Amino acid sequence: MTDTTKTPPELEQLLADLKPDNADLLAVLHRIQDAYGYVPPQAIPLLAEKLHTTPAMIYGAISFYSEIRREPPARTTISWCSGPACRLKGSENMRRALEAVLGIGLEESTDDKAVGLHLVQCDGTCALAPLVRLDGHPKGPLTVSEAIRLARELKGKEGQP
Amino acid sequence: MMTYRELRQQAEQTWQAVESPPRPRIAVGVTTCSRAVGADETLEAIRQEVSRRGLDADVAVTGCWGLCYAEPMVEIAKPDGSRILYQQVTAERVPQLIEEALASPDGVCQELALGAVSPQPVDGVRPLSSLDFMAVQEERRLMNNCGVIEPESIDHYIARGGYEGLSKALNMPQEDVLWEVSDAGAGLWGRGGAAFPTARKWEFLRDAKSEPKYMIGNADEGDPGSFVNRTLMESDPHGIIEGMIIGAYATGASYGYIYIREEYPLCVERMELALRQARERGLLGESILGSGFSYDMEIVRGAGSYVCGEETGLISSVEDARGMPKIRPPFPAQSGVFAKPTNVNNVETYANVPLILRHGAEWYSSVGTDDNTGTKMFSLSGHIQRVGVLEVPFGTPVRRLVYGAAGGPPEGRSLKAIQPGGPLGGILHADNVDLALEPEPFREKGALLGSGGLVIIDDSACIVDMCRYFEWFAEDESCGRCSTCRGGTQRMVEILRRIANGDGRPSDIDLLRLLADAMRYANCAHGQAAPTAVMNSIEAFLDEYQEHIEGKRCPAKVCHGLIRYEITGKSYGLPEAAAICPTAAIVQQDDDYAIDQALCIKCGACRELAPAAVHVVDAFATSD
Repeated sequence: MTDTTKTPPELEQLLADLKPDNADLLAVLHRIQDAYGYVPPQAIPLLAEKLHTTPAMIYGAISFYSEIRREPPARTTISWCSGPACRLKGSENMRRALEAVLGIGLEESTDDKAVGLHLVQCDGTCALAPLVRLDGHPKGPLTVSEAIRLARELKGKEGQP
Repeated sequence: MMTYRELRQQAEQTWQAVESPPRPRIAVGVTTCSRAVGADETLEAIRQEVSRRGLDADVAVTGCWGLCYAEPMVEIAKPDGSRILYQQVTAERVPQLIEEALASPDGVCQELALGAVSPQPVDGVRPLSSLDFMAVQEERRLMNNCGVIEPESIDHYIARGGYEGLSKALNMPQEDVLWEVSDAGAGLWGRGGAAFPTARKWEFLRDAKSEPKYMIGNADEGDPGSFVNRTLMESDPHGIIEGMIIGAYATGASYGYIYIREEYPLCVERMELALRQARERGLLGESILGSGFSYDMEIVRGAGSYVCGEETGLISSVEDARGMPKIRPPFPAQSGVFAKPTNVNNVETYANVPLILRHGAEWYSSVGTDDNTGTKMFSLSGHIQRVGVLEVPFGTPVRRLVYGAAGGPPEGRSLKAIQPGGPLGGILHADNVDLALEPEPFREKGALLGSGGLVIIDDSACIVDMCRYFEWFAEDESCGRCSTCRGGTQRMVEILRRIANGDGRPSDIDLLRLLADAMRYANCAHGQAAPTAVMNSIEAFLDEYQEHIEGKRCPAKVCHGLIRYEITGKSYGLPEAAAICPTAAIVQQDDDYAIDQALCIKCGACRELAPAAVHVVDAFATSD
């Protein structure tokens, strides 16, 4: 999914039809992220030029949104739902257990970039609370022990070269 | 270009095949909720099973009835007119369903049957309308198509009266359209939370001098626990689009945006398709239905920011900037998107508009209360037996939703609190369960009815912990522009954290009150409403705060700074509990197990596996 070797000319193609004052930025950020897995820093000056603004303004916008990544994601992302229905059903316990097993906090990845932990907001699949999304696929309701087994399995699988 | 009458005739032919199917029709509800429990796999399994058996049957994709607890749901309609909904049809259950329901003409899979789409029982299956979750919904208006039509078919929408309201509106003077929606007519007000009269907002836009004018649909539904907009967009996307076109006609807007949050990819997909279909039929674009009125719109997909649901934050976000709320005035009607006149309404507000135009203001205001006409959608989640989305007239008591529809808290638990309107909407004591669902009674209690999320909380929850969550959310999602909100939410989180950790001070209650008072001066609704839950709860649940502060005890044993896990007694589950512990805190000595408190992170995994031996106790318990 993530290819950091792509060069700006290909990036430029993704930005070809970008116009200022046309509500284009979010759409193009999604497009770049779909292609690269994140928004590479080389994109910032190009976006600024196309949208007739400064790189600082573009960086400001990018860093504002929690779903736009400025670094490549881990190979597997566990998205932990922070919503109230999950909270009521023990999601905090689950978060502490996931962090302990993986040795990382939210918005971090293991050193080998195998597994990442990401905080997501409620998307209303509350019948499954408490849940996590594994690369976007909901898994729930999960007990804390099930979450621990899941994290151990992901960590163990990736540990093998 | 076709006239509306021609469009309708064409659509009715398509719909005929659904109403009176020439062969069995198997429809799978595919939405975010049902996908989460495997609806895609169910759909695929049905296709395979139908082809494997060589059945002469149609397979279709429908939307959601709002019964999240029963997903994945499958409807089987037969040429004899029977229509039965089946619940929890996972892919593994598909062969059984098909075998029992379709092997004979009058077959029914009793084990999975949920309800019959008819007023009377069919083949021993009770009518859907008799289910507790459906029975409280006297009249489904906004949700009339939800679960019934194929959301990816514009013909289904049109055949059931869709775009008739638009066709009528285009033949009326703008003034009359505004009247229909206004307080003198239907009395529609905004469903996003502020409850501002819709027609008055539209008049501001109409009267604005500058061009072009923009119409924006707010589908940034960021309140955790709210999923009513999602249900509408996924199950009946055209209702929103039609409402926005009518609004544009009444105000002279020429372009529009629907702002959909990042978390709703299926909504984006279905709304995009719906816009394309509307454009193909001449319902969007140049001279809509030959009227000479032109309007078009597009979707903007958010990227994970709660304050973008605030209208000026949303406008900033559409303008390619950080989604930070702006200072008003100027109001969006004067200077909104790209400094042009702009109107922002919640998408549920727009979905009401076609119904008003089609059936008239009198019909619209025939349900609800004197002050609040019509119906409202609510999403129910938390400590209840049935999670889902429903629609009730304003004025319906909360009790009917909590106990009637949702089945109340789980067995052995009792209702403790109700959390309306998202994290900023407040928290109400269970004593308020008879409150009428309309803005005024909630406002009197210092809470907000908000956009339709209702989170039900039972006595297993800690109010301090929940408030800590709400404040954390407000802090995390603060845009940071005004220090009142940025600093205020931070301080609140700090104070609640220390209370939850056993370091609370007796002066903290007054400190929280002082902060909440100051935060009323925040720049936008986010900061102003951020302390709502804390303020509600230090009145209604003061004893619980005091127990945390003075007694250093969390009565619900949730706040992990105030509890300790201990092993007393024996259990065959203990070896497994020791193995699951993520910090290896359970140490074995001969046959005995103990928890090393220095290592324990209080995640509770061990207790799940050895409930008889692992106990949660007060960390600062006194022995007397």
